[in-house]
Amino acid sequence: MPPTGDPLARRYRRLLLAYPRAYRRERGEELLGLLLDGAPAGQTRPSLRETADLIRGGLRCRLGRPASSTVGVWAVLTALICGLFTAALASRVAWETSRPQPDRAEFTAAFAEAFPRHRLGDDVSTARALFVIYGQPLSRESLHSLLLGDGGEYQEGVAAGSAVGPMPTAEAETLATARQRLRNAGWQVYEPTSEVLQTCADPRCDPASQPVETVLVARRGDTVLRATFDDPRTFGSYLGVELQRAAPPAVLPAAVLAGLVGGALAWLVFAWASRRTEDRRRAPVLLGLTLFFWWAPVLLATASLAGHHLDEPHPSWHPLWEWLGQPTLSLFFLVGLAGALILLVTALTPRRDARPLTVSLG
Amino acid sequence: MREPTFLILTALAGGPRHGYGIIQEVTALSAARVTLLPGTLYTALDRLTAQGLVEPDREEVVDGRLRRYYRLTPGGLDALRAETVRLRQLATAAETRLRALRPRTT
Repeated sequence: MPPTGDPLARRYRRLLLAYPRAYRRERGEELLGLLLDGAPAGQTRPSLRETADLIRGGLRCRLGRPASSTVGVWAVLTALICGLFTAALASRVAWETSRPQPDRAEFTAAFAEAFPRHRLGDDVSTARALFVIYGQPLSRESLHSLLLGDGGEYQEGVAAGSAVGPMPTAEAETLATARQRLRNAGWQVYEPTSEVLQTCADPRCDPASQPVETVLVARRGDTVLRATFDDPRTFGSYLGVELQRAAPPAVLPAAVLAGLVGGALAWLVFAWASRRTEDRRRAPVLLGLTLFFWWAPVLLATASLAGHHLDEPHPSWHPLWEWLGQPTLSLFFLVGLAGALILLVTALTPRRDARPLTVSLG
Repeated sequence: MREPTFLILTALAGGPRHGYGIIQEVTALSAARVTLLPGTLYTALDRLTAQGLVEPDREEVVDGRLRRYYRLTPGGLDALRAETVRLRQLATAAETRLRALRPRTT
């Protein structure tokens, strides 16, 4: 389309960029002519309604398959899941701005601050990295476990220890003292939660005899403390404490930005592949399989994690990738990825031209 | 068939029309109740072309502006006829019930 001095035509041309290049080449002048025919005299800018209509029409046109009534839904599902995966990846990268997980000295100080008359056992464990798999930093050797079945072991590192000896005060008093001391030391203390543990499957068991687990959660700055009161007969200690880092501030903006960019790029790639595979029967099957393997873990993990989040306070939410079922169900992701790659290769391979170029002379 | 699609096919039943002509005809047919915007019209035309109901007819340049005409295909004509019959049946059924209702309400 050649440029023109008419400002309205120039602005319409800019809006027509929403349409794919090949379509603009073939129908751009015709569409521009229609827009100019319909414009009232003196109009210099497209109206908001026209703008929205052209952008919507252009984006729909980019998806190809004009007779399909569902291609838009598939495009949105693809863009959304790719945006979420990109956001999860970016959030993992942004986690690197966090301080290392608490060391033994920091853990011991926090324990003493909350539970001064309690004796901390010697076996305090600390994490060697922000995130660990089987207690070790992710390495080339553990990548196999991460991707092929044991992804659920990839978790945020934690410093943990437990009290030894008899409980010096009753649990209620210990809890009240800990809350008070933590608050005085600048921690934000959340309401403790209690849960009856179902250790006996027999319906004749008396519920009152079942052990009760009480969890106290507190946060100060970038550190989260989680104290669990359990029955020492079952768990070996009446009190277990964990200390770990909260998500650093960079995680949220990084995830949002990467999610938006990733989603938009995925939408464009989907549109390109959709146009390129209009005559390929296996393309919808491949897309359906890909989306199933990518979305199924999200639905399963979200349902499970949402319940867990409601059960006890979470000053720092679980990382985004856990909400997407990753890397716990990384096999699903890999199968979906294989489907997506086959789909892209299908789109890249030359196709039979359904409408051969015809040239009319004269 | 949705109403805008029915109106576009009806507009083209009168003979080939270019985009602006279709918009004007649809506005007139619907007594200005339906006003098609260009993006919506071309999405519909692309869909109808892919479904084999409409096809490009000819092109002309008026005042330096390209106009492409569209016409109904035989399939489009059949689809319009079938939809017209369906709507007429619905309208007749509604009229019959309304006539039966009238003596009781007056």
